[in-house]
Amino acid sequence: MSLPDEQWLKSTFADLRDFAALGQGGQKIVYVATHKTDGKIVLKIIHPRTDVETVRREILAVQQVQSLRVPRILEYGKCSSNLGDCIWLREQLIDGPTVRELLAAGPMEAKSVLRLGLHILEALDKTEAAKIVHRDVKPENIMRDPTGAFWLLDYGIARHLELSSLTATGLPFGKMTLGYAPPEQCRNMKSDIDSRADLFALGVTLHECAVGNNGFFDPPPRDHLELLRRVERWVLPPVALPIADAANFQDLVNSLTQKSRVHRPRTIKAALAWLQEICAKEGVS
Amino acid sequence: MDLYLQFGYGMMDHCRVLLSSWGGGTAILSPRDLTDEQLRRLGADIAGIAGGESLLDPQFYLPHSDHKKLCKHGYWPNDYDTTMFWQGPPLAALLRHLGKLNRDVGCKRMILPGLFAAAVDEDWLETQGAVLEESRATEVELPLIATIALSAEAIKNTEQVSLLLERAEEWKADAYYLVCEHPDGQYLVEDPNWLANVLDIAAGLRFDGAEVILGYCTHQMLLAASAKVNAVASGTWMNVRSFPPTKFVTAYEDEIKQRTTWYYCPQALSEYKIPFLDIAHRLGILGLMAPPANLDGGYVAHLLSGVQPSTVGFTEQAAFRHYLHALRAQTRAIDQTTFDTAMASHQNSLDTAERLLQRLRGSNVSGQLRDFNQIVDVNRAALGLFASLRGPILKRMWNSI
Repeated sequence: MSLPDEQWLKSTFADLRDFAALGQGGQKIVYVATHKTDGKIVLKIIHPRTDVETVRREILAVQQVQSLRVPRILEYGKCSSNLGDCIWLREQLIDGPTVRELLAAGPMEAKSVLRLGLHILEALDKTEAAKIVHRDVKPENIMRDPTGAFWLLDYGIARHLELSSLTATGLPFGKMTLGYAPPEQCRNMKSDIDSRADLFALGVTLHECAVGNNGFFDPPPRDHLELLRRVERWVLPPVALPIADAANFQDLVNSLTQKSRVHRPRTIKAALAWLQEICAKEGVS
Repeated sequence: MDLYLQFGYGMMDHCRVLLSSWGGGTAILSPRDLTDEQLRRLGADIAGIAGGESLLDPQFYLPHSDHKKLCKHGYWPNDYDTTMFWQGPPLAALLRHLGKLNRDVGCKRMILPGLFAAAVDEDWLETQGAVLEESRATEVELPLIATIALSAEAIKNTEQVSLLLERAEEWKADAYYLVCEHPDGQYLVEDPNWLANVLDIAAGLRFDGAEVILGYCTHQMLLAASAKVNAVASGTWMNVRSFPPTKFVTAYEDEIKQRTTWYYCPQALSEYKIPFLDIAHRLGILGLMAPPANLDGGYVAHLLSGVQPSTVGFTEQAAFRHYLHALRAQTRAIDQTTFDTAMASHQNSLDTAERLLQRLRGSNVSGQLRDFNQIVDVNRAALGLFASLRGPILKRMWNSI
């Protein structure tokens, strides 16, 4: 998808100015721009090839979740471009690095790890309450703002448990990011996917933030099939976060990353309550 | 954790005597071994003991059974059609019959019929769900205990265990009667994976808010306290200390005909034939095998009185009562204050047993197939695996399950 020219942007989005391209993927182009009343925002222009229902579900998910830890969609609509009719989204801007970018400097400090866990569980708690599974919790989809708060992004492959699935049932692999998704999601066992899938992915993410790398990638796997086998079989090494309640944190991460969802906490709320206890002792909120 | 009596051949008097001496307790009665009339009579006797309670195991594990004693009971269907039975009227009729029999026997809770699962699959899971659903609709007027009867292969299969636990979350039974076939017909199970999975199932059911009664147990299942199992059930002969499904198809009398008398040394978690007690006596170490006072019901005093054990006429009756009394005391001695204390209680008993077994085996005093020497590590491995799977959450949730 080629970048639209600035004239087209200005004429199509008259309320916006100061466009700066932020990034471009296969499915969307992302800009930072200034809105006349909302200030700095993110503008996403979705490629016309993208399935409209998938985009509609993403918008619906963010609207239903209503979490203060998830960037709001301020407005959305359709526009015509030289490539065809596109959907666009105007979102709240989170000004800060992704956790993936933070990890380039090595493991995160203990209190940041705890805060990340706490804030993302708060977002997932709302997600669970809306009967939605995010399905793509990973360092790339978490951002830290200048106040140190963490935000959960990208409900692009979220599963609405009360709506029909958009993923073909017969496919051997489900929508996911290998190395973070739990075995049941990797294997596209749709009836087994609930909020405990997000707990697994968050557990892997917390482990990575604490030690600096994703244990399933160390040493680098030969291919995606080997990585899948590791996710299904490997137990992540113990994590020793330098906090007073280190054993309890290790227990939590161990529980979150259990291969079978029956061994994970039953709900996001249960995991959140667990981490809140640890955070309270460390003065993390 | 409590011990229930698992009724087997010739246990009527054992039930009366033991429950009376304990000041109450629960016996799971066996239609295979009792006629309708005997069930009612024994049920009345148990109800007459303060704190006494009867449960009735309908033993509907293999409905094609032509076990003549089972088939004589009024609740047993004359004509069992595999496909139609579990869909409506025949099932409702079975439940009504069983409800009446349970009330006649004086049961305050009703164990539901449950098919033996060679494998946990959709058909079996559907049947389980149907039994619960129909029993709720039938209004048997008793609190319900759902039966889960599993083959050794099903228990060893972690995917089937996960599937069972997933679906059990939806059943919302108040209690489960979990009966597990031992692998390879073993009395003491040598497969730690099987053992860990039994604990895993029990813990999963407890997390669903249900009570769990583990049926057909040996003392090896004392470790079930770590999964916060509410009660284990055991009895006299081997076929009520393990769950051999075949005994519900045909008579299973071989063991009874053999009539070997075993002495249970609770601190060694092992049982010994009397000739080996003679060896211990002659080597001056029999005293090490005497039960500690807190586990001693007074049934073995003459056996360990200082004369040659084989000369004192130690009876089968005394052996059984001693076993069950000691086992009950052991179940109650486990400190279930927290997950950690429950684990430590069993670890300590394993350590104690290991030390004593080393001493006894050093003198060639062996429990042979009932010696716990090889089993100590099996239980340790099972507990270790179980702790890694369930430990952190059990620690947190212990007081709320």
